[in-house]
Amino acid sequence: MASVEIEAVGSGVSLQDQGRSGWARFGVPRGGAMDQFAMRAANHLLGNSPQAPVLEVQQQGTKIRVHRDTWLSLAGAGSCATFPSWTARRFRAGEVLLFSKSGAGLYAYLGTPGGWKAPRWFDSVSVDPRNGMGQQMTNGSPLEAVSTEPAASINQVASRRLALEAQREYPCEEVYQILPGPQYECFTESALDALVRQPWSISAQSDRTGFRLEGERIQSAESIHSEPVVIGSFQVPESGQPIITMVDGPTVGGYPKPAVLHEQDLDRFAQSSPGTKVRFRWEAY
Amino acid sequence: MPWKIKHYGNRAYLICELGDETRLALLSCLSVSVPEGLIEYVEGYDSILLSFEKKPEMTTLTDWLESSVWGSGAASTRQSADDRIHEVLVEYNGPDLDQVARALGLSNEEVVQLHSGAIYRVRFMGFSPGFPYLDGLSPRLHLPRKAMPRKRIAAGSVAIGGSHAGIYTVDSPGGWHLLGQTKPIFFNQQAAQAKRPDAKHVFQLQPGDQVRFVPAHL
Repeated sequence: MASVEIEAVGSGVSLQDQGRSGWARFGVPRGGAMDQFAMRAANHLLGNSPQAPVLEVQQQGTKIRVHRDTWLSLAGAGSCATFPSWTARRFRAGEVLLFSKSGAGLYAYLGTPGGWKAPRWFDSVSVDPRNGMGQQMTNGSPLEAVSTEPAASINQVASRRLALEAQREYPCEEVYQILPGPQYECFTESALDALVRQPWSISAQSDRTGFRLEGERIQSAESIHSEPVVIGSFQVPESGQPIITMVDGPTVGGYPKPAVLHEQDLDRFAQSSPGTKVRFRWEAY
Repeated sequence: MPWKIKHYGNRAYLICELGDETRLALLSCLSVSVPEGLIEYVEGYDSILLSFEKKPEMTTLTDWLESSVWGSGAASTRQSADDRIHEVLVEYNGPDLDQVARALGLSNEEVVQLHSGAIYRVRFMGFSPGFPYLDGLSPRLHLPRKAMPRKRIAAGSVAIGGSHAGIYTVDSPGGWHLLGQTKPIFFNQQAAQAKRPDAKHVFQLQPGDQVRFVPAHL
């Protein structure tokens, strides 16, 4: 019997986990949760394995009805007014979760004991609609937990909360570290400087394949023969507005890449919602 | 050195500016033995990405490359290429066939003959799962990609773009010229749901495979 039902999909909900690694040479994107840190936190709160399937809830509008008494956890963006992020508790049948609070952060991760039951492609539940993988949610979709009770102790426990120092906030105008990309030397000094000198705005045309940056045009370099692309890479087309490849992005590309996000900052960067201002600073290898 | 190595993010190196001989020798070597700690490698047009759990020192990687690819034991560890030629049956009824012929000063029949008369090799894959970038397209069929890409190209569409031939493996937008249609079997999503997916069952083609297009009505 379904533990919850997605009454309204809202901006978007998708089943995610650690993604699918090892298939990039066949053109399969890694996918998985955009914010892996928050995913692991949602699972940790219930004693799940770190990669147990979670529900990635984007921005606002999602409505979830609980059909059966069950523990749930939430981590990432604080978009649910009645269920604080970085916590877990028992929910009663009939309770409704409404993700309507706007503010910092783009993705909230809803966890459940054992993770959500879902079919797998290349051993991952990650939904990639562009490539026909993953079970997509629609209004009315039911979801079931793998386990009935959390592995973490819940005897006489009303709720669990992640320690403050383990929680994250998603402030505006954060500065993210970037490393030189493969075409770093093909860009002019002023172009490389422009990347870090100005704040950029996250475009509304951003999604799981890539985040588009809006700002003062930077001078691009010549396009290259198709090259493998690492997640977090800055690709600069002729428009001079960089696109940062995210988890569902194509595995090869021909735009020059002056930079790539430091992996420590990927999860945080992925929580930048459209309109958020971001800044970068160069780091060395 | 017949290669250039660049740092690419926290976990990878990109071996680039590879000439054909070096690239093929390196790929042949990687198919049987990989540097310690390697998670996966990805082929590009003239580059190979090596992704590690923990990135080794560049000197360690250089040592491995020199001994494995060029060392005395190298030749014996190379895997011989698969000589089988995959035949792809094509209905040459693509919406761009007329346009392509006109642009190249050829008849439709000549385009079909030139396209189906070659033996191609999968140079690398990407853009979509299983999408093959095929080497071997007749220079007489080289045409820049469309300025205005289509919003939707059906899986199984047989196409050319630039100096490559390709086959769309999932419905997607795209800018290549559509010459015809074949069965959309190049990315089997169902086979990807197996407990231990087998590349041979999921993807009809793999990098290095040879391909020939056969007109459906002969």
